Amino acid sequence: MAKVLMKGNEVIAEAAVHAGCKYFFGYPITPQSELVAYMARRLPEVGGVFLQAESEVAAINMVYGAAGTGVRVMTSSSSPGFSLKQEGISYLVGAELPALIVNVVRGGPGLGNIQPAQSDYFQVTKGGGHGDYYTPVLAPSTLQEIIDLTEAAFEIADTYRTPVILLGDGMLGQMMEPVEFKDLTEREPGQKEWATTGTRGDGKPRTITSLDLNADALEKRNEHLQKKFAMIRQNEVRYETYETEDADYIVTAYGTAARIAMNAIQKARKAGLKIGMIRPITLWPFPEQPFIETRDRVKGYLSVEMSAGQMVEDVRLAVDGRAPVSFFGRTGGVVPAQEEIYEQIVNISGGVEV
Amino acid sequence: MNLTINENAFKTEVGPVKKGADITIMTGHFGSGKTETAINLALEVRRNHGKVAVADLDIVNPYYRARDTKAVLEDHGIELIAPAERLAAADLPIVPGDMGRLIDDPAYKLIVDAGGDKDGATALGQFFNDWKYLNPEVLFILNANRPYVSTLEGAVETLRKIEKASRLSVTGIINNSNVGNETTIEDVQKGLELSRKLSDALGIPLMHAVLPEHLSDQIGELEGAPVKVMTRYLKLPWEM
Repeated sequence: MAKVLMKGNEVIAEAAVHAGCKYFFGYPITPQSELVAYMARRLPEVGGVFLQAESEVAAINMVYGAAGTGVRVMTSSSSPGFSLKQEGISYLVGAELPALIVNVVRGGPGLGNIQPAQSDYFQVTKGGGHGDYYTPVLAPSTLQEIIDLTEAAFEIADTYRTPVILLGDGMLGQMMEPVEFKDLTEREPGQKEWATTGTRGDGKPRTITSLDLNADALEKRNEHLQKKFAMIRQNEVRYETYETEDADYIVTAYGTAARIAMNAIQKARKAGLKIGMIRPITLWPFPEQPFIETRDRVKGYLSVEMSAGQMVEDVRLAVDGRAPVSFFGRTGGVVPAQEEIYEQIVNISGGVEV
Repeated sequence: MNLTINENAFKTEVGPVKKGADITIMTGHFGSGKTETAINLALEVRRNHGKVAVADLDIVNPYYRARDTKAVLEDHGIELIAPAERLAAADLPIVPGDMGRLIDDPAYKLIVDAGGDKDGATALGQFFNDWKYLNPEVLFILNANRPYVSTLEGAVETLRKIEKASRLSVTGIINNSNVGNETTIEDVQKGLELSRKLSDALGIPLMHAVLPEHLSDQIGELEGAPVKVMTRYLKLPWEM
């Protein structure tokens, strides 16, 4: 297929259709409403169902219902609406149901504003709802990468029977970039032996629930979930590094912030500073390995975020006190400028030789 | 009693003789490049005309609107009609109150930038009675590399829906087919072909083709329509 010019929100929607998702339940909210609008038009064309729910809470519970039948299903929202979905996400984890949940983050807390932000990092990587759980979180930084990660998100969801979160921000959702989709192949959905699609006298009735009144049984279920999280940690970590081999300092950033930071790093390299980058693609599981490999030889790390400092906590855990970790961020929907990130790089590395 | 009819008594003064601004209205599908085209047009018109204004009537897009190019417009002495600054990033469909003042002022060349698709064009409908006798130019911007307008059928449907929502008739088509900074001359040519088909099918003239700045040295490759080289003003943080 030839390249098309699309908005980030449209790309997420079309990528989901390409991944075989035919069911969408959601409620519009800026800055991700184009995703909802695109699905409303697109899903009937592929014989799917689009339904605008009466609220985010209703939408996530419709996702629960559809996921129980074994189909690929998704919902999407932005920060305040994503908060409303947390109870439902916890239920999906407890009932072990696969689904894709998209959060196109905006400035918070509260109603905040409609500008881009990365301040939902804690919420997506540390559970978010109640109970002992994690959800895999994928954070694309280009529109082309959205296509790959949306497909990956559905695969991870089905493989581990878990909800997966695709985390963007308003910038990524609203910007336009050329993208290329592979030709749409009719995908035969794999049989899910746990799906509640009706008994045919072929065994005991299947049940899907997150309720377990017996403490010992619920503890067993938790142990099972923890084993699953350990497997995801082992198998699903994704990241990208850039010129870390000879780096004195390493900048770490994801999504939109990573794209701006990359320009600042290249400028610093031109000025003679040895700067590299670690870009986490999965935020949970957090990529510890590239930090473990570099922490004994670099002079320091700088975490750049569109938040008051959230991912920096995971960076510090991974670096484990072996090198200084600094932070630079802008909040409230302010996008950091390339120039101010460059200044931070120069500051931590002790200045540029003139 | 001798009744004579004064023919002039039946002529109305409102209507054809109403004076007002010279208006150009930019319409198009979502993401067709209306705003960039509007800014480029405003800068071009400003070279030979004193009073030029750009009206941001985008009630659909939350980012990347004409109001985000305020500094560029101000630098060139072009008036920006947009929601008050404190509401510029509000999630509200605001139509600025200054519209009336500009529409009625013959000294102005007014460029109106509406939001995309029929939904964005809805904001235009309310001005129907204000500008119907002013013969506004209504341009339809086409980017054939966008979803749902890459076929003649899709482009016609989109154009007709915009006409209905805006209560206007499109008077000209502009080919702005591109795929961002990766646009090749073939992308522009392919889009120009569809623009020409659209023009033929509806009997609406093809005004010109837009060529992204990075392809300006290949201007000779485009045939059959005047070409205007476009400069991009709405930039992403990593493009600055």
